[in-house]
Amino acid sequence: MRDRTFAPSRVLIYLIVLLIAAAWLAPLVVVVLNSLRTNEEIAQASMIGWPKQWAWSNYVTAWSGFCVAETCAGIRPYMLNSALVTIPATIFSTMLGAVAGYAVSLWRFRGDNWIYGIVTLGLFLPQQMRLLPWTIVLRDIGLINTLAGLVLIHTIQGLSFTTLFCRNYYVAIPHELIRAARIDGAGFFRIFWRIIMPLSPPILIVTVIWQFTHIWNEFLYGVTFTSGQQQPVTAALIALSAAVADIPQHGVQSAAVIIAALPTLLIYVLGGRYFVRGLTAGAVK
Amino acid sequence: MPITTTRRRLLAGSVATLALPAFARAQGAVKPRLTVISQWSAGSDGAAITALGKKFEEKGGVWQHSPVPGFTTEMMNKLRAQIMAGDPPACSQLKGPEIAAWSKIAPTVNLDALVAAAGYEKVVAPDLARLHKPGGKWISLPLQIYSTNMLFLSKRAMDKAKADKIPVTWADFNGLAEKMKAGGVAYPVANGGTRPDDGQKFEASLAGISPTAYRAAIMNLDKKALEGPEIKAAFAQVRKISDWMDPNVGAQHFSTNLKRFIDGDMGMMIMGGWAQGVLRNAGFKFEEFIIAPGPSDNSKPVFLLNADAFIFWQRKEPDLQAGQTLMAQLVMDPAIQTMYSQITGSIPVRTDVDLSGNGWSDGQRRTGAALKEAIASNQAVLSLAHNMAQENGMTAAMIDVITEYVKNKTIKPEQAAIRLAEAVEGAR
Repeated sequence: MRDRTFAPSRVLIYLIVLLIAAAWLAPLVVVVLNSLRTNEEIAQASMIGWPKQWAWSNYVTAWSGFCVAETCAGIRPYMLNSALVTIPATIFSTMLGAVAGYAVSLWRFRGDNWIYGIVTLGLFLPQQMRLLPWTIVLRDIGLINTLAGLVLIHTIQGLSFTTLFCRNYYVAIPHELIRAARIDGAGFFRIFWRIIMPLSPPILIVTVIWQFTHIWNEFLYGVTFTSGQQQPVTAALIALSAAVADIPQHGVQSAAVIIAALPTLLIYVLGGRYFVRGLTAGAVK
Repeated sequence: MPITTTRRRLLAGSVATLALPAFARAQGAVKPRLTVISQWSAGSDGAAITALGKKFEEKGGVWQHSPVPGFTTEMMNKLRAQIMAGDPPACSQLKGPEIAAWSKIAPTVNLDALVAAAGYEKVVAPDLARLHKPGGKWISLPLQIYSTNMLFLSKRAMDKAKADKIPVTWADFNGLAEKMKAGGVAYPVANGGTRPDDGQKFEASLAGISPTAYRAAIMNLDKKALEGPEIKAAFAQVRKISDWMDPNVGAQHFSTNLKRFIDGDMGMMIMGGWAQGVLRNAGFKFEEFIIAPGPSDNSKPVFLLNADAFIFWQRKEPDLQAGQTLMAQLVMDPAIQTMYSQITGSIPVRTDVDLSGNGWSDGQRRTGAALKEAIASNQAVLSLAHNMAQENGMTAAMIDVITEYVKNKTIKPEQAAIRLAEAVEGAR
């Protein structure tokens, strides 16, 4: 048997794929290397280079040392804030999206397509446009400058996406299944829990990954609707890099970026396998 | 008649006696408290405002600072949200014509009495003072000043060019750049690639050619001045500068190239006074570079003002009001301005602060002297690139033209001048 891996076309394909991978990974490599170099070394040499001495202290400073104005607690408290916003908002928006997607796809009722259309319209509204309405809502219900306010925002705004995802997935479920269950006397929620939920893991993983990444990385609402100690990690990261009268703290910044990216990275590593599978499940029925 | 006078006096007297104890009581009973929003969170900016907060607390106040990380847009969003929510900060950072624009959105505090008591008006550059009292009343206070057209010279590049004279006019500057190029300096002008960076090249050029034309065209948007010969000359100078720059610098912060500048691979840098702090904190030595006021064709310093300021929003709470009074007094205090500028590397707004003592760098002294001279000769103007000359929308329209011109060398100076005038018309 001839070894196919040595076919020229295959080598070319691998070469191209390797090149693309290298291009994609290059920025990450620079960030990782810079996270281990001292600021002076970066400033005195170049942004790209091998560490002369391994500055692990960057990670210590990033985690618990650097100052955002008067507060010198590093990235740690802000990581906690982000978790306190991201985890509940991801769960709520995913669950509500699943119910809504189920309702508009399988529970036909008058105007269901309209409702679906209006909900997904939310995808097209620029973030900036929604700032003032949210300000008024949060003011009136007394949640301005609180993490709970952010959870509310992300839950509701996430609905557009989660509903879209779940609806497109549930549309593929045969209606006979639902009809049979209704004949057996099952109601809306019984069908949801007993039939829809067990079929849902692929799409739920997709929405969880999507929502988690999106909410974790969100900056504008986090910085507008919270103050000081309440802010999410993205705000702290920008705070670390926004000095005008100073040399940018590239070493500590890089370390902080890597730490802040770990949760989303973890989610991808754990669930990435299901991501594409879930997204394409509806498409290739 | 005597009776009315007496009666009026009596009335005034009784009002005073009634009001005074209440006023004294209010002053004595409440602890001054201040809620502040600023974008100063990191580095020496963060350190400076932290030190200001410490002083506030030393005077018995409660300091509640919310740094809004990021750049101006985020802070404006935050400020708008707070105002909409009916909870504006007692005081927030704001600068340039945005002070006038935002003062229409929510009521501000009249600081006239406090400014008069501090004798502040006499020691502030007139153009700067105007910005902080839109409608004739002081509602905000400038805190520190940078000049955006300082000229930084690399010692090693000077050596390569065998030059030792600091250029004063644009002709000197161009001559030195040629010499540097001939002496092996790859890029006689050091550059980053951000919008303000490009904008600074233009504003330094125009103000250096004619501060009068700069004031008319850029600050007052005078149509004739915008189509005048000085604008074309300024664009021509910018073209020369851009030919000496490294074209392979994307949208990079200027600090990315500091090493090349110090090494003499890049020669001269037109940058704000803050660059000396950046150079110092990167571990470079003052002996490795020279700082001088930017080129000026009439040989008298031209100063492009960039000033940070605080605006004060009306609050009903007596403790916040007391905090605003205390904050205003601190901001105008020469000792506080000294402390602040020594941390950030800026110069104080007060032109009567003595910069000769320890704690001031030569660069700061030169900047301070340049400001005094520029005010005396009416050559202190407001920076366009750093949002001092125009509101944000107008600034953006103008910088769009400038930054495209810097990067696209097929555009002729005459075309750029027409485009600039059109952009101004469009944004009006």
